[in-house]
Amino acid sequence: MTREQSFLLSRRGFLAGACCAAAAPVLTPVTFAAMPGENRFVTIVLRGAMDGLDLVQPYGDPAFAALRPKLGLTPDTGLLDLDGFFGLNPAAADLLPLWKAGELSFVQAVSTPYRNQRSHFDGQDILETGGNDKSQKTGWLNRTIAAIPRGESRRAIDVSSSMELILTGPSDADSWSSQTNFALAEDEIHFLDRLYAEDAAFARVFDEAKQTSSSADSLYGDAKRGGGIVDIARLAGGMLTKDYRLASFSINGWDTHVGQQAQFRKAAGDLTVAITTLKQAMGDDVWKKTVVLAITEFGRTARENGTGGTDHGTGGTAVLAGGAIIGGKVLGDWPGLGDDKLLDGRDLMPTGDVREVAAAMLYRQFGIEPSVLTGKVFPGLSFDASSPYMKV
Amino acid sequence: MALANPTLAAIRYGYGLRPGQKPATDADALLAQLKAGAAQKPRFPREGIVGRKEAATRIVSLRAAEAKAAKEGKPNEAIRQQTQKEAQQIYRQDAMARLSQAVQSPYGFYERLACFWVDHFSVSALKSLPMRMLVPLYEAQAIRPNMTGPFRQLLQASILNPAMLIYLDQDQSVGPDSPAGRRNGRGLNENLGRELLELHTLGAGSGYTQDDVRNAALVLTGLSVDNRSLEVVFRPRFAQEGPLAVLGHSYDDDEGSGQDHLLLLDDLAANPKTAQHICRKLAAHFITDDPPQDIVSAMTGAWQESNGNLTEVYRAMLTHPRAWSDPGQKVKQPFDFIVSGLRALDLPDESFTTVLQDMDDEDNKVGPVGKAMQMAGVGVSQEEARRRAGRTNALTLGALQRMGQPIWQPSSPAGFPDTANAWLSASQLSERIAWARMVARIFGQKREPMDFLDVALAEAASPQTRKIISQAPNRIHGLTMVMASPEFNRR
Repeated sequence: MTREQSFLLSRRGFLAGACCAAAAPVLTPVTFAAMPGENRFVTIVLRGAMDGLDLVQPYGDPAFAALRPKLGLTPDTGLLDLDGFFGLNPAAADLLPLWKAGELSFVQAVSTPYRNQRSHFDGQDILETGGNDKSQKTGWLNRTIAAIPRGESRRAIDVSSSMELILTGPSDADSWSSQTNFALAEDEIHFLDRLYAEDAAFARVFDEAKQTSSSADSLYGDAKRGGGIVDIARLAGGMLTKDYRLASFSINGWDTHVGQQAQFRKAAGDLTVAITTLKQAMGDDVWKKTVVLAITEFGRTARENGTGGTDHGTGGTAVLAGGAIIGGKVLGDWPGLGDDKLLDGRDLMPTGDVREVAAAMLYRQFGIEPSVLTGKVFPGLSFDASSPYMKV
Repeated sequence: MALANPTLAAIRYGYGLRPGQKPATDADALLAQLKAGAAQKPRFPREGIVGRKEAATRIVSLRAAEAKAAKEGKPNEAIRQQTQKEAQQIYRQDAMARLSQAVQSPYGFYERLACFWVDHFSVSALKSLPMRMLVPLYEAQAIRPNMTGPFRQLLQASILNPAMLIYLDQDQSVGPDSPAGRRNGRGLNENLGRELLELHTLGAGSGYTQDDVRNAALVLTGLSVDNRSLEVVFRPRFAQEGPLAVLGHSYDDDEGSGQDHLLLLDDLAANPKTAQHICRKLAAHFITDDPPQDIVSAMTGAWQESNGNLTEVYRAMLTHPRAWSDPGQKVKQPFDFIVSGLRALDLPDESFTTVLQDMDDEDNKVGPVGKAMQMAGVGVSQEEARRRAGRTNALTLGALQRMGQPIWQPSSPAGFPDTANAWLSASQLSERIAWARMVARIFGQKREPMDFLDVALAEAASPQTRKIISQAPNRIHGLTMVMASPEFNRR
């Protein structure tokens, strides 16, 4: 399949969605806004830069296999086909039922306005503050609270041991952790390996800690890590069944420079468990009114590096889930992976602003006016009610 | 002379860098900290020295009265529990004050020496209930004011303190041939006599014999603690009569004046083996586990020339080239690790306790959340309560406990282990990473890892560490790695 065809496919998918929305008027934005205080919105911040090309693999793109000799899959080697062009990483297999039920979509080739520097810290700051650059000091989800029309419930919670930037700001928000210590993510452990590499005594002791120390289970143990994310998602889901309307939490472990296959499997497994647990904890009635948006600071290089991983890139992937979306689609204008299509010859070219996806969801879920969304929540964003994301 | 280096000075001879506190630039500046540090009243005991004595004697006499009544069949469990709780609270508050003292003080070398000496003349708050209140008093009264003069003075102040006499059972020791010994068959306890020679002065294996130990213990008889006033007393009726020979010196206190133990202490202080032992231990503590003889010789030389003036000994150490070479040979002890972490994070001064208080308040603020969650059936009210109570502790005293260095509770009279290897193990490193992660989450949300690296380690960070921190996958992990790095854990 060619790049042009995939683009068309994507547009067709979008049109199909519009058609369904029209056929089911209860799901129009106006109707959503008219249901006071019922809708929910969850953000999941994927810290470390998720490789969207690994989660939702463009196996139909002719350049993909050559860019990803180790990481690239096809339906013949275990990839879960989504639409004939994109396939889902088998580590996220448990999301497939949501896809089939129309409760899951992906948006490819999106990014924040952050360019060129590829620093996690700045990238996450811009992702969380929602501006064009680092000038915003408060989190966009916090600014969303004040933008939700009065009279509606607008309580927000950050499931973290301290308030994360995305929910920091002038409006009241709560933070609550499911446990004091979350286990280290795979990439974090890998970073510690590097940190100790040049100090033989520390390197030896750290190796020992990872392998043997029972007291270290909560830091390095696999079981606990899974448990950690289940606890977080269950907590967030539980709060949203009551009078909380906004929730946010983070999933770490995406900085997969080395040995990506195993690391990514863990992180993608965490994301999968987070979404399925949210649904379970909310129950059908609340899940129906919910949009979950998982976003990351940037994508990763289209090309594998020399150590079985990928490096910091630009265009990435957002994940949409929830009973309130018309899912089952891979959205976004696919730029293609040919040499001439990559940004700086290395990164997936961003063709959409991830903030637009978020803005559309906030408009639909809470009836926040586009002028407020572009003025207060996401300063500098171009967005209006004609956005294609309004109908997905 | 090798160039002194302010970062090394702060890390090796202090509790690390702290924004707003200029690190010492040379040996003289470090020595100047001793005067300035001594001029500052320590933050413990919280009621001051007089107030603490009053509190301790009040609690002890309440308990004595209750014990007496109990013997007569009228026990009062409430008094017992309440006094126990009070003593425990006093201890905890002082321990927290001791931590904040080190975190806030601009006189790191003075603080580190206080830690060294209180560990050298070890006593433990775990010994008994009164000790929870007496040990902080001991550090403030016996150790801190006497660290810069003659060793002789420090030795006398530490040994002739109720905390030391209680800790090493001197209050139980009776000369077998003393009037009291002959009358009721009570006998000698060698504990203090042995540790005095082995730990406090000459050092293990320095040539003294079991007879020396026993005779030293006999010379010390008569020294005791009044269990009402909690003051040191000399009881002539407990004192063994001389002459008693220790290391060839004869102690013969015919008049029963109670002076022979002072003579013994002075002789031990003046013994060259004591100088060798202490100088080596100082260099091993600050510089490297097995210090080269040249620097130890420079220090013992200064000791002999100055009759054991400790400031001169410190000066000899600090002006030796080895004092400024080969950084990072020691591994920070847990107290040093936590204090330096909190310093780098720049917890505001007067609010150290306020910060901890705020954290409690903040936890209280989530009360409604806990409530909502209970309603939501998430079942966390218990966890919320545990978290509220646990977080402050987990960051400070609890962390020290977990890492094996609870404040004022050494595992033996030899104090806490002081070799690099003792503090480098899988579980130790895991605890440190977990602690770093916890404080990074709580205090670090608005910090840049690279800025924090500069604050915490300045040029002590290796290029490799600098690079890795700059690439950290998220801010919290970047901050965590600064404190988990080998450079931050070594000194």
